[in-house]
Amino acid sequence: MTERTIGYRPGLVDLASGQISREIFVNEEIYAEEQERIFARAWLFIGHESQIPNPGDYFVSRMGEESVLLCRDRAGEVHVFLNSCRHRGMKVCRYDEGNTTVFTCPYHGWSYGTDGRLIGVPFFREAYHSTLDRAQWGLVEVAQIARHKGSVWATWDPAAPPFREYLGDFSHYLDQTLDSWEGGDGGTEILGGVQKWLVPCNWKFPAENFSGDSYHNISHRSVDLVGVGPSGSGRRDMPELQLARKLHIAIPDRGHQTTAYLLPSAVPVPPGYRQSSIVSDYFRHCEEVRRRQRGEWGRLITLVGEVFPSMAYLSRQPRTIAVWHPKGAHQTEVWRWYLVDKAAPAEVKSFLRDYYLRYSGPAGMTEQDDMENWNYAHAASRGTIARRFPYSYEQGLGTEVENYEWEGFRLPGSVVDLTKATSSEHNLRNLYRRWAQFMEADSWAELAGWRHPAPRAAAE
Amino acid sequence: MAPPRAESSGRVSDPINIRALPPGTRITLAGGAEAEIVSNPADGVWLFARYLSSPQDPALIGQEEMIFAADVVEVGR
Repeated sequence: MTERTIGYRPGLVDLASGQISREIFVNEEIYAEEQERIFARAWLFIGHESQIPNPGDYFVSRMGEESVLLCRDRAGEVHVFLNSCRHRGMKVCRYDEGNTTVFTCPYHGWSYGTDGRLIGVPFFREAYHSTLDRAQWGLVEVAQIARHKGSVWATWDPAAPPFREYLGDFSHYLDQTLDSWEGGDGGTEILGGVQKWLVPCNWKFPAENFSGDSYHNISHRSVDLVGVGPSGSGRRDMPELQLARKLHIAIPDRGHQTTAYLLPSAVPVPPGYRQSSIVSDYFRHCEEVRRRQRGEWGRLITLVGEVFPSMAYLSRQPRTIAVWHPKGAHQTEVWRWYLVDKAAPAEVKSFLRDYYLRYSGPAGMTEQDDMENWNYAHAASRGTIARRFPYSYEQGLGTEVENYEWEGFRLPGSVVDLTKATSSEHNLRNLYRRWAQFMEADSWAELAGWRHPAPRAAAE
Repeated sequence: MAPPRAESSGRVSDPINIRALPPGTRITLAGGAEAEIVSNPADGVWLFARYLSSPQDPALIGQEEMIFAADVVEVGR
């Protein structure tokens, strides 16, 4: 008989050997533990400020399995509340988004202002004899909220470090998605609505994929052959990247990671988006400005990345944000936002919408390939026999370096140069290292290890 | 045609669809108070209204309160 496992135990993630048990993907006890140890403690992406520009605007989002309300109150303050009436738990909002003065529970009628205060109680005088302390019964609000370059984040844990500290050096990489392509601070907005769909797989399959699994590119060969890219061939325009260093960059003590390209010091901006001269001119202009204004950082172009635990981005071609909402051990609800430069001409936004939807989302050709892989891999890992055999994450073990430098530019993080190696699983291991830390640590004092550097590291 | 009436002390008549009532509409409340609708969140449960009269509690006159649907007994009188 093999050893029986009920829930999480140390050793399921074995980074020294590069082996990870399938149990962490298919075990329902482990999934239940994740809700408490990860999703109730980590910072989670909620939405984008451009979705709630006016007082009274709201967007119904999720944190883990739970429905939350992102809303801007009448005074303009942004809040995130649990979407559940304090009286009997009914959802106080069952729409996706809108504008309101109150959130009224349809069950018994308790009603809340956009600032979360309980303001309407049916028969307050008659049935409660005016004694109910309404101040104690407002909507449950998150412990902390952060607004970062238009994106909105929240955590239920008052002990979690501030969001910027949670990100650490990763903000250099995340910001490429949130800033305008010229480099304008938070100069993006959401294009259209949010696409939402279910995938029959554990949430960590897409999370690891967007952490930087470029090994699976072969499964997109048919898309490359069709040529959905914005210049009519391949998936993306990447001519300058033939000259760049391809890198896996991970922030080990935070659990965030990205794939990026570092350009040589002086590379002219090549043409792109050649199916539209307006779009091509727009991006050539933006890229020139970006490189001029950002200096050395203008040489860096991120591709995919993941903010632990469940927010992913693609910084360009297409520029999107995804959140992998857990919905049971065997199902994930994917939400995908599409970003464009706020100041882009209407023709550019329209062109990008068409390209984005060819690429991503439930009908996007590339995303369909991914979903097929994730859902069959998950299904084929659930069986009694299958779950006895771990997955391999050995690619590139021990090849990472700190203080990576090329042509005079040093990058923060733990880096593997993929230029010759083509692929590694360094970023994937980083995701699961952090995942295991969250599953084992009982407090943020343990999770925020950067606050207590080891003596040797401190000396360095 | 007489204005619609709803549940009141001691009698029951057709319920009033408060979602359809625009700001400015005058309403009569259970207990006899009168109020004018200030805004309507259109949730079918609440109205924001200002008291015009309040026989049982004159201190409410001029105040704005949330009015529960079941408390509205008459419209437009």
